[in-house]
Amino acid sequence: MIAASPPVIPNFGQGSPCEVNNGTFCWDWVVEHWHDTLWPALVQHIELALIAVAIGFAIAFLLALAGLRYRVLDAPIGYWADFLYTIPSLALFQLLVPFTGITVLTVEIALVSYTLLVLYRNMIDGLLAVPAEVIESARGSGFTRTQTFLRVELPLATPTIMAGVRIATVSTISIATVAATILPQGLGYPIFIALRQDVFKTEIFAAGALAVALSLTADGLLHLLERALTPWTRQVRHA
Amino acid sequence: MFRKHTRRAAKAAYAVSLGVALLIGLIGAAASTAATAKPQAAPTIVIGTKNFTEEYVLGQLYKQALEGAGFKVSYKENIGSSELIDTAITSGKINFYPEYTGVIVQDLAHKTSPKTAAATYAAAKKWEQTRGLTLLNATPFYDSDSFGMLTSTAKKLGVKTIGDMKKVKSFTFAGYPECDKRITCLLGLKQIYGLTQAKFVQLASISVYTLLDEGKITAGDVFSTDPQLAGTKYTVLTDTKHIFGFQNVAPVVNQKVLSEAGPTFAQVVNAVSAKLTIPAMIAMNKAVAIDKASPAAVAAGFLKANNLK
Amino acid sequence: MTLADQFQPGTFVDALRFIVDNIGFLLHLAGEQLELSFAAIGIALVIALPLGLWLGHKHRGLFLAASVSNVGRALPSLVLIAFGLVIFGLGFWNNTAALVVLAVPPILTNAYFGVDGVDPDVVEAARGMGLSERQVLTQVELPLGMPLVVGGIRIATIFVIATATIASIAGGGGLGDVIVNQATYGLAGVVGASLCVSLLAFLAAFLLGLLHRAVSPRPVRGA
Repeated sequence: MIAASPPVIPNFGQGSPCEVNNGTFCWDWVVEHWHDTLWPALVQHIELALIAVAIGFAIAFLLALAGLRYRVLDAPIGYWADFLYTIPSLALFQLLVPFTGITVLTVEIALVSYTLLVLYRNMIDGLLAVPAEVIESARGSGFTRTQTFLRVELPLATPTIMAGVRIATVSTISIATVAATILPQGLGYPIFIALRQDVFKTEIFAAGALAVALSLTADGLLHLLERALTPWTRQVRHA
Repeated sequence: MFRKHTRRAAKAAYAVSLGVALLIGLIGAAASTAATAKPQAAPTIVIGTKNFTEEYVLGQLYKQALEGAGFKVSYKENIGSSELIDTAITSGKINFYPEYTGVIVQDLAHKTSPKTAAATYAAAKKWEQTRGLTLLNATPFYDSDSFGMLTSTAKKLGVKTIGDMKKVKSFTFAGYPECDKRITCLLGLKQIYGLTQAKFVQLASISVYTLLDEGKITAGDVFSTDPQLAGTKYTVLTDTKHIFGFQNVAPVVNQKVLSEAGPTFAQVVNAVSAKLTIPAMIAMNKAVAIDKASPAAVAAGFLKANNLK
Repeated sequence: MTLADQFQPGTFVDALRFIVDNIGFLLHLAGEQLELSFAAIGIALVIALPLGLWLGHKHRGLFLAASVSNVGRALPSLVLIAFGLVIFGLGFWNNTAALVVLAVPPILTNAYFGVDGVDPDVVEAARGMGLSERQVLTQVELPLGMPLVVGGIRIATIFVIATATIASIAGGGGLGDVIVNQATYGLAGVVGASLCVSLLAFLAAFLLGLLHRAVSPRPVRGA
């Protein structure tokens, strides 16, 4: 340990009285740290959730096709998705780290796993709920199997499938906050840091409010999308 | 039946949605794998930090100094305790992190504490070198665990040194989860000071000071450079038997990465370490923990003021 | 280290051994978690069940029931736990309150739709027979709406038990204490404790599933 000339310690300034005394909500902190803390966390969170739901949708769709075609697969796929869902997210993230490291990939694998339960169930249930007579009538009119699927079964199953997408999206946004236990990204990260800093209220409220707002916005947008995709069901529907 | 254009619209919407979903998914997956699979000329320094304020500051200091010197840095903050981050570096998930020399010797290598700070550093370096790692220069400042409590509690119990706690019939002691098993923490308190009546309270995400303020614990594991200790509200009991060891900071780095990175790498890091004195660390810890500045901004300010960036 | 060095079956076996070696400790933690969960569900039942049943009976408050469901789903559990800690400080109430907020929406919404969806003809007939409003609700609508009502309680219970794991970061105790503490208990401990959580959740789902079948009219059970 070589002695060097003493360092210059710059004046780091003082926190506002609100910040120093851990007031309930310090707007000055929010304004000051929007760009370096809150906004990046929000963007990361949106990315994590978007990728997870997109991949989950694709996988669940393929699984649903398989489960539909080979009905014997339905139960095992269903149980597997159910089981994935009961693994506490706190644990699943940690369990994947030795395999895929402290990376976005690890988080995505976990998030996608959790979407599969809802997405798979809703896709299968939606497609199975199409009345047999409707399918027969379509086949009878000369539609091929594929045409029947694309033009009759899918549209009829859309409300149920979209309901699943809504639930999956909202729960992904929620679970992604826990990803901060292994990866310093997303809105969960400021919350964990703030908890450790003598429960810094402002940061917790700010990041938490953003997470709730993100979740509500996503749910609302998907609700609009659902209505746009199913114009023939424009009556009052139970949400 | 359904009007033709409605069916077609739904079909088109589905195709588009599925296509977009697949596209987003593939791009996302490709982006994250590409980021980890690119072949590099100079190695990427993957810096990890432990899970408390001082480590965030140290991490940012080294990160920004190295980036300023032209190195590519990947930053993984808040990995966890020494035991966890040690696994991370030996399994190659990171290749650089700031560690406390006493923790290496006593808690990771499970050896007894040497008698001086220099001896502790040498022992730590020797041990890490048997594992494909090594230490760069140590900092002037040290930050050891300490036995902290509210000043009012200390007055009420009439205790000044840790040994004085023997007369207290039972008390609770809070610490990070690993404290329970460490000779530089609760284990040492029980075995070396004989404080077997101590009951351990595990911290998860909340700080010791919160628990002390709320009266939930008698005492807790605090760090000697915590800015909260600057005032009179909290007191630290004297460690007469020196169980907390010598705790200067030295960056642990993967030997291979060190040799591949070239001589500038060690120079830059050591230059930063040399400037980290106790007053400097306390000032930076205070700025982050009390004044709620971000570790990145505080580190940037310090590096700039000392021409290290 | 290669992937082979950390091959999962080894960890899984270690996890089972961890459970066996620490069965008393894990049972104690499971007890803590269930205690917290039942307290929250109990309070949620008191708040949400009467309200949902009454609103459903009156066929009023559809918007409220639907919104509570939507908003409730959108509240990230970690955020609720953190808010609870900020508002109540460390103790019993911070986690209990957060879990109550999580449990209320499914109970309220399902109670509403369970009663609201009863065949109106049957309700009319009951009124015609001279039953008071209260009797209509308790003797006709509630029994017929039981499947949905119990279904909502089942969802809430599973959700609360699973989320109580996260409450450990705010002093809630329970199996989460092991899961957040890989440093002390190792990966085997983390896997072991989460297997226990899964087991608890499955158990709750199963028992309430039995109740659900018991209150469902026979023809519906086949679904």
